[in-house]
Amino acid sequence: MRIRVEPFVAILCSATAAVAIAQRIITNPKPDAELKQLFPTAVAFSPLGGDPLHFKAYAVDPRANPDAPFIGIAFWTTDMVPKEHGYHGPIHLLVGLDLKGTITGVVVDYHSEPYGYFSVEPPKFAAQFKGKTIRDPFIVGRDVDAVSRASITISSAARAVRDGSRLAAGKLLPPEALK
Amino acid sequence: MPPAAESWRDILGPQALDLTLLAAFILVTLVSFFRKSVRLKFVTLVFAVGYMGFFKSHLISIVDVFGVLDRSLPIVRYNLTYYALGGFAIASTILWGRLYCGRVCAFGALTQLMDAVVPRRLRIEPPAHIERRAASIKYGLLASVVVYFLATRDMLVYRYVEPFWMFGLFGTTAMWTGLAILLVATVFVRNLYCRFLCPVGALLGVMSKLTVFRIKRWSECNTCKICEKTCEWGAIRGPQIVETECVRCDDCERLYHDRNKCPHWLIQIRRPVRQV
Repeated sequence: MRIRVEPFVAILCSATAAVAIAQRIITNPKPDAELKQLFPTAVAFSPLGGDPLHFKAYAVDPRANPDAPFIGIAFWTTDMVPKEHGYHGPIHLLVGLDLKGTITGVVVDYHSEPYGYFSVEPPKFAAQFKGKTIRDPFIVGRDVDAVSRASITISSAARAVRDGSRLAAGKLLPPEALK
Repeated sequence: MPPAAESWRDILGPQALDLTLLAAFILVTLVSFFRKSVRLKFVTLVFAVGYMGFFKSHLISIVDVFGVLDRSLPIVRYNLTYYALGGFAIASTILWGRLYCGRVCAFGALTQLMDAVVPRRLRIEPPAHIERRAASIKYGLLASVVVYFLATRDMLVYRYVEPFWMFGLFGTTAMWTGLAILLVATVFVRNLYCRFLCPVGALLGVMSKLTVFRIKRWSECNTCKICEKTCEWGAIRGPQIVETECVRCDDCERLYHDRNKCPHWLIQIRRPVRQV
């Protein structure tokens, strides 16, 4: 049986072209609703900026009062700990931290985990981090719920929240937060 | 509080049990393979379904192929078990052939256990020419799913080309329906998925072209058909063993060693008698 090569070459070329053309916007660039969810009392948020990249949450609009102090920060784990990834790439989590280093909430944005739909997608996953502090151990099976058969995904997400929050607190929060 | 540096103990501790169980499983697998033991093989099949399947859901999947393609694999130090199984699958395939498919893969093990309990009279043996064509479907499926992934980056397509998600126990109605059809079909055509459809099996099949330690054949195999008829995988065609389809199930090798059944031995035993 002779196999013709041309159709395969054609398919491969068109696939390569499709890859080159495809632009994928993965992380939500303006997560206003999600920030409000992390800081319900905030009236304004700074745009994503600073080093490392983060949002600042304000209880008083900084445009009206330039000296207004921020009440917390929010960051993408993909900016804070870019090397962390799960089964198939990074899990994009938006994390809010108050000035004491307590997590105000976690929002799961984009992920490409094969078993994400029963591990990080259920709201129960994100909800469990609210109220935890950067001093907590974040050990899956102990203070983070284990999800059997999806341990690679869950451990990566837990590490992203833990390491991201600790790094963010160390670099962006007042020193009192670290005591 | 800065991110605490993790010690090797922090990293290895949570993985120790899984690593030990995987090592034990691989050891039993290899012992059953080298001893050609039927009983031990069933032990590995049951363990593969129970532990590797329903407990860990740890199978080589098309998602791992996608991960290699876009260099997006789990972090090594936190996922040693993942890499141990992947490494074993590749190494064993190059050394002996599709051993992984035959006794490590949880779904393959499940259909083989099904085959052991389903009454023989229900089985349909596809004619050789159809079987040969059907066996190449999996290569087409592998190629098209890889092209589809490269074009769309839609990793979730894995749900529709392989049934391994079943061990995760979460699926949509459409997925469960598809699985039910596949399993019912497997009652009639044994190991249907592994032989004709599995893209991972196709990839390992390509790798098995490199097999170092192949199954020995006697000169008598040119004419004898006993093994060809026994092979449940359609992997023997006349004197040839088709490595890409062979999963090293031991069925033919057990026959080679059987001095009461294999003509090679029967002829050898008869010869001296004739000389007297």
